[in-house]
Amino acid sequence: MEVSAGGESPQKVQSMATFGCGILYDAKWQNPFHTANKIKDYLTGSTKPIYHPLNDCGDHVVVINSRDIAMPGIEWEKRVYFHHTGYPGGASWTLAWELHQKDPTLVLRKAVYNQLSKNLLRRGRIARLHIFPDDKIPDSILQNISGQIRQLRPVPKRLDHYSEEEVKNFPKVFDWPREYIIQ
Amino acid sequence: MTSHTWNLFWGSSFVRTPLRNGVGRYVQQLQRVTFKFCKTHGGSQGMREFIEKDLVDFAKVNPGVVVYLKPRRHRSPCLKAEYLNGEEEYISAHNLSSSDIKKWVEYLRMRSGNPVERLRKYQHTDHPSIQGPWTPWTHRDPEINVTEFPSEKLSAAHVTEKTATEQVIELFEKQKIASGSNTS
Repeated sequence: MEVSAGGESPQKVQSMATFGCGILYDAKWQNPFHTANKIKDYLTGSTKPIYHPLNDCGDHVVVINSRDIAMPGIEWEKRVYFHHTGYPGGASWTLAWELHQKDPTLVLRKAVYNQLSKNLLRRGRIARLHIFPDDKIPDSILQNISGQIRQLRPVPKRLDHYSEEEVKNFPKVFDWPREYIIQ
Repeated sequence: MTSHTWNLFWGSSFVRTPLRNGVGRYVQQLQRVTFKFCKTHGGSQGMREFIEKDLVDFAKVNPGVVVYLKPRRHRSPCLKAEYLNGEEEYISAHNLSSSDIKKWVEYLRMRSGNPVERLRKYQHTDHPSIQGPWTPWTHRDPEINVTEFPSEKLSAAHVTEKTATEQVIELFEKQKIASGSNTS
């Protein structure tokens, strides 16, 4: 590798090329727990061939659309997040949907944090995770993004997402009965 | 004992050999072996037996090794080996049989003289990579350089099964082709 115009050593350039990049993930309609399992590998750096447990080589992961994550089954009503202030009677239980209303990034962040390995590197790894509730990212972050993680499941398409023409040209599967009233 | 403390005392190293010894030619690293023994005590009996029976053969087979004999009164026997790199090693031969001593001499003869340490890796190469070290850009599609993020194409999940909608459209297309061929 050649020395860059800034005058940095080749090793510095190598290290910047290896560590200084971010990866984007679109959380729209994705299961936060399966997503966390995927993101975990990028935060720890175990997707890279240079990975070693003593070598802190994780990537920054930028997650967008965290407001639109999808929980399976009745998890929004039944999953409970526990917090204790430390004072007597300070325990509180928050339902997942309530937590998501308060902070739309927190469900995903906690899911990732729980799946990271429980050691001294955990806080540093979670600090590399940047979650945004919508698809608006600051330019300073966007210009460092160099890749995108594939979503785990296809995003469902609603009828109003199709164009007028596509709907019109869709084959007619059956005829409604003559006296059937379409609401 | 933590690994740090352990390393302070015992050290650690990589697999190595002096001057590529054994590749193309072999240089005897053992330079001198000294047999220290007592002529009367029983603890040296095995050593004395070794000297009587096997030592001359050993010296003939290994002309590059200097053999010293050092009798000393009423002291326990030992082997002292000196190597080309200046290291020396002592092995107590107290109460050892002559066959045991034969094995220890063989051990000293084949050693390189480098200290016996924990090996950090069991393999070593002078040329770690010919292609150069890995970077995040090796084997990546250069198309990402001109991609606008977020990109729908890079994000969409791989779909393996056809959806019901696609199946309906496919059936419809087949029907159209069949009916078209019938009329013509």
